Parts: sequence; structure tokens; C-alpha cells
Amino acid sequence: MLTVDMMSDYGADVKTALVRCANKEELYLKLVKKVPDTQDFGKLKDLVEAKDYEQAFEVAHGLKGVLLNLSITPLANPVVTMTEMLRAKEDADYSPYLEQMMTKLDELKALIEE
Amino acid sequence: MRTDYTKETGPILYDDMKRNVLVVDDEDINRELLGAMLSDEYEVLYAEDGDIALEILKENYEAISAVLLDLIMPNMNGIDVLKIVKEDPKLSAIPVIVLTADNSAEVECLNLGAVDFIPKPYDAPEVIIARVKRNIELSEGRTVIQSMERDELTGLLSKDFFYKYSVMTEHFYRSRAMDAVILNIDHFHLINEIYGREFGDKMLKAIADTIYKYVRTKEGTAARGDADTFYLYIERQEDYSTLLEEVQGDINALSSAVYVHVRCGVYCKEDKDMDMEVIFDRAKLACNAIRGNFKEKISYYDVELKNKSVFSERLIQDMMDGIEHKQFKVYYQPKYAIQGEKPKLTSAEALVRWEHPDFGLVSPGAFIPLFEENGLIQTVDHFVWEQVASDLRVWKDKFGDTVPVSVNMSRIDVYDSEVEDRIFKLLSKYHLSPSDFHLEITESAYSEDADYLIEVIERLRHGGFIVEMDDFGAGYSSLNMLSSMPIDVLKMDMKFVKDMHKDSKRKRMIELVLDIAEFLGVPVVAEGVEYKEQYEFLKEKGCDIIQGYYFSKPLPFDDYEAVLETAIKEGGE
Repeated sequence: MLTVDMMSDYGADVKTALVRCANKEELYLKLVKKVPDTQDFGKLKDLVEAKDYEQAFEVAHGLKGVLLNLSITPLANPVVTMTEMLRAKEDADYSPYLEQMMTKLDELKALIEE
Repeated sequence: MRTDYTKETGPILYDDMKRNVLVVDDEDINRELLGAMLSDEYEVLYAEDGDIALEILKENYEAISAVLLDLIMPNMNGIDVLKIVKEDPKLSAIPVIVLTADNSAEVECLNLGAVDFIPKPYDAPEVIIARVKRNIELSEGRTVIQSMERDELTGLLSKDFFYKYSVMTEHFYRSRAMDAVILNIDHFHLINEIYGREFGDKMLKAIADTIYKYVRTKEGTAARGDADTFYLYIERQEDYSTLLEEVQGDINALSSAVYVHVRCGVYCKEDKDMDMEVIFDRAKLACNAIRGNFKEKISYYDVELKNKSVFSERLIQDMMDGIEHKQFKVYYQPKYAIQGEKPKLTSAEALVRWEHPDFGLVSPGAFIPLFEENGLIQTVDHFVWEQVASDLRVWKDKFGDTVPVSVNMSRIDVYDSEVEDRIFKLLSKYHLSPSDFHLEITESAYSEDADYLIEVIERLRHGGFIVEMDDFGAGYSSLNMLSSMPIDVLKMDMKFVKDMHKDSKRKRMIELVLDIAEFLGVPVVAEGVEYKEQYEFLKEKGCDIIQGYYFSKPLPFDDYEAVLETAIKEGGE
């Protein structure tokens, strides 16, 4: 069962996130559990690989907002980087960031499923 | 309940009632997080995209106090939602707070009308709650101010706010030469009477739109004051005839059947520090100076007007003193019945003169309309009634008989609930009968609240008074109204007689008035008869009674007494 300590160990800034959730741990954990359910990670990967940077930016921007609001820093970091690259429509190699994102997502999923 | 006070609006209430806020974000987690932050203070509604948000807003716009709007969303983004909200008059007052992690969009959103930003990631809940609350307070306060700021019918500024804005404009543009302009529509009430209030309102709106467009191009502001009066404060113009033509065009476009005269008064401001109300008082004075003058449409405040205004003010100030010190004198102008073998004194009209200690003999034309405007005329009327009653008593005692005297009864007297009591007490005090007093009521008094006036006059006639309709033909009586009016005598407006020599049409008009009187079964008094031709024409056409210089000018007590004495003696022979 997911706990705030597990999220801290994962690298999330739980203290900051809890302030946003009015110190309601239950609410925080409920929202964190919803993160892997979003289709946006897969969508972002597909759009970047298809070089549809405009659409990809919108998806990345949305994900960034959610991840930063919940202070899930390890997962937010690659998304924040990609958002800025996509905003500038950089035709660069996004694969390291996509890989990092998917790895951290899998780790989060594993924590939730524990 | 908490109460905030502002200097401009007085109390603005922000009570603890739970208001509705709409959270628009395509991310479910963000919506839930914001909802959790706000739900203790607000009822939170949610929309996952722009289309749903607009649907909710259109259905509940009166009940939603704020919108928290994400900018980047699929289908319709936040910027597009914001544009639609701000362009829709029903929605535009709702404050929109933008949720964004993107600082670059701030200027665009502010220009589009967003009131604030909440950055992502979010601040602590108390910060967000405070920002939402403050924006709702400001918005509700603004709504209260706006409702007081604008004239509801036309959308122009209300007069009080107009003065404030005009003063503000002064601070920013002190080097500009400015004009205060007052625009008024003569007899606008006729439009309402003939076509109904709704039509009148439509016309006022059309005029306001024209004025608004005009002031927009002249760096100015405009307001609607009382009913059909408009105020403009604009950069000095060489000529205002274009404005008047445009406004007259609006009126004519809506109604060609009624001629409504537009006039404007202008004060060219010279002293930058002069009080705004004084400036507009002067423009109003200029505007009023051409009231009823259909030839002149624009009037400028000048030295002559200023002097006239100072003179009027002095007359107002001195009136009570004049009554107390018997400066007002009652003169009597005899009226003669002319259809017999020789003219016979039948009655007289009491006319007031003012022997002012500084100005000498002041013409009634200078003080009667002035006192009618501010209600002081009632005091003068009461003085005249008392003096006439006292004089009648003297003549009755002296000669054993007299002829009736007609006195003027102003509109304000008729509407005084104590008028009947006052007049009967007067008769009782001097042991006179109602038949000694004729009451002259001007035709124009009949045009407003005719039902009430008819009721009062009926009671006076029932009490034995003879009621004469004065200045008949100068006002707006319809033939239909005339048939139901309680009158005993028609006094033809003196303009008919004065102009009769001009052409045959004028003479025909006199015949028409005589025909109307015959139809109503009442005698006619022709006023202002000065020449033999006038007298002979009127006699030939069947006019009953004549008043004017042809027989006698208005006479002071002693002179009239001599005329009366002769007439009584001749009558007794």
C-alpha cells in the first residue's frame, strides 16, 4: 500500500505537495495513484516520435502541470525538460528523456501496486 | 457578514454566502486538487474543456462568481474561452483567473480581460483562496459601482459619475480648452404622451447613441441627467450644429409626426479650477435661455446671460422682503362686455406689479416666470388674492356694489391641498361671496395630470367660483380634452389679437376660437386689444368681452376705483 514515506523515498517532494493538499495525506496519495492512469505519457511518446511537436508540447505541458502540482520530481524532471524543448520546437533527440520518463513511470506504478 | 467601505461607493457587502466558482482544466488531477483547496469556501463546478465551460457559464452566468481557467486544453484552449467570455455581455462581468505555468501568456490574458493569475505548480491553498476571494470582492464591488455609474436606460454615465470623470479628465489634460454642453429636448413629454413610454425610451436611447459616438471622437464624456437632458464635456468645438442635426435626425427618423425641438447650451470653460457643477449650471442657464424659442438652437453663456442670472437671483432673494414692505402692488385692468349697445364694465383682472427699491418698476414678465419655476409664485398669488379681497371689501362698503375681479391661480396653487380652504377662509374674512372672485388658470396647467386638476376645479366651481381658462390657444389642449374641461370662460391668448392684422388666416383663427367657445357654451374674453380695428372685428364676430389698452391699461387702486364708481353709477341710472 502506497505511503507518503514511499513517495519520499521515490524522490517526490512530499512536504511541498502536502501543503497543496491542505496536509491531507489521503488526498495526496489518491491523486498520485491517478497519475499512471493518464494516457498522456504514451501519447507524448508517440507524438514526439512522430515529430508532431506542436501537439506533443500541449500534452507535455499538461503533464508537467500535474506532476509539479504533486511534486513528483523524478517523473516531472524529464517532462519539464521536454516541455521547454517542444515549446521551442527543437528537432532534437528526445529518446533519453522519454526513456527516463517511462522508467520513472514504471517505478511509480510498481510502488502503487506494492 | 463583513462589510468593506470605499470612498466612492459607500459600503460594499461581501457576506459569507458560499459562492460558485468554475474550475476549467483538462487534467482531472489538477481539477481535483483545486477543488479540494476551494471546496471549504466555495461550491466548485468543474469543466474538462472549453466547450463544457461555456455551456455551464451560459446556463448559470448569474450564479457563477469566478472562473479558474487553464490555458492549454484540447479542442478549445483557454485563450479562446476567455475571448468568448469577455465579448459576451452576459458573461463579461464574471472575473476569470488564469491557471498557467507559462509566464509569456500573461500579457495577452490581461489584455483580453483576465483579472489575475494562479501559477502552476499551485501555491498553498490559503494563497489561492485569498486570491480568488479578493478577485470576487473586487468584481462584485465593480458591478455595484457600474450599476451606479451608468444610466440604466441609455448606458451613458450617470450625472454624479459624469462630474467625477470630468474632473479626472481635467487633471490629465489641463492644457485643453473644454466646453460644457447641455442638450435638451423641448416638450419631450409629448412623445411619451402620444406614442407611449416605450417609444420615448427608444428615442432617448437613439439620441444617447449619437451623443456617445460624438463625444468619442471629441475626447469627451457624456451623461444623461433628468429625463431628456444630456450633459457633454468635450474639447472645444467651433460649432455644435452638426451634433444638433444628428440628434434631430434621430428624432425625425423615429417620429415625423411630432416636431420636437432640440436645443443646446454651451459654456466655454475659462477657469481651469472652476467647480464642475458651476460650469454645467452655466451651460444649463444658456440652454434654458432659448427654451420655447424655435428659431435659436444653440445658446452660449455670456456676460448678458450672467447679468440676467444675477438679476434673477436678486429678485428671488428680494421677493419676501418685497411682500413684507408692500413693494408689490395690485393693478386692475377692466374687462368690458361689448355685445350690448355700449361697452359695459363687467369685471377686471388683478395684475401684480413690483416697485423694487433698486430696480424701479419690474416687469411681471421678469419675475412671474422666474417665480413659477421655483414655486415662489404661490406667495405672490396669495398676496394678490388677499389684496384683491381687501379692495373688494372697500368698494362694496363704499359703493354698495362692485364687479368681480379675476385673479391668477398658478399650477402650484391648484396642486396645493389647502387651496380651497385658503380661498374660502379669505372670502369669509372679508365677507365676500365666491361670485366676487373669478379664478384664471392657464391652459398649460391643464396638460399635466389633467384628471387631478379637473377634480379640484370642479370643486371650486361647485363652491360658486367662475373659472376662466387663461391663454387659451397657446398650449396644447386637444379638442377632445376641451369638451371635458370644467371651464366657465375662455380667455383667448393675446397673441391671436396681436397678430390678427398680419393675414386673413390669423383672423380665421380668432373665428375658430370663438366657434369653439360657442360650441362649449362659454363666453370669450379677448386680451391685448389695443386698436379700434381689433375691437370692431371682435365685436362683429361675436366676442363677448374685451380686455386691453383699447379700453384701459391696468390701473392702480385709485384710478380703477374711479372707473368702477362711474360704471356703478351708470348702471344704477
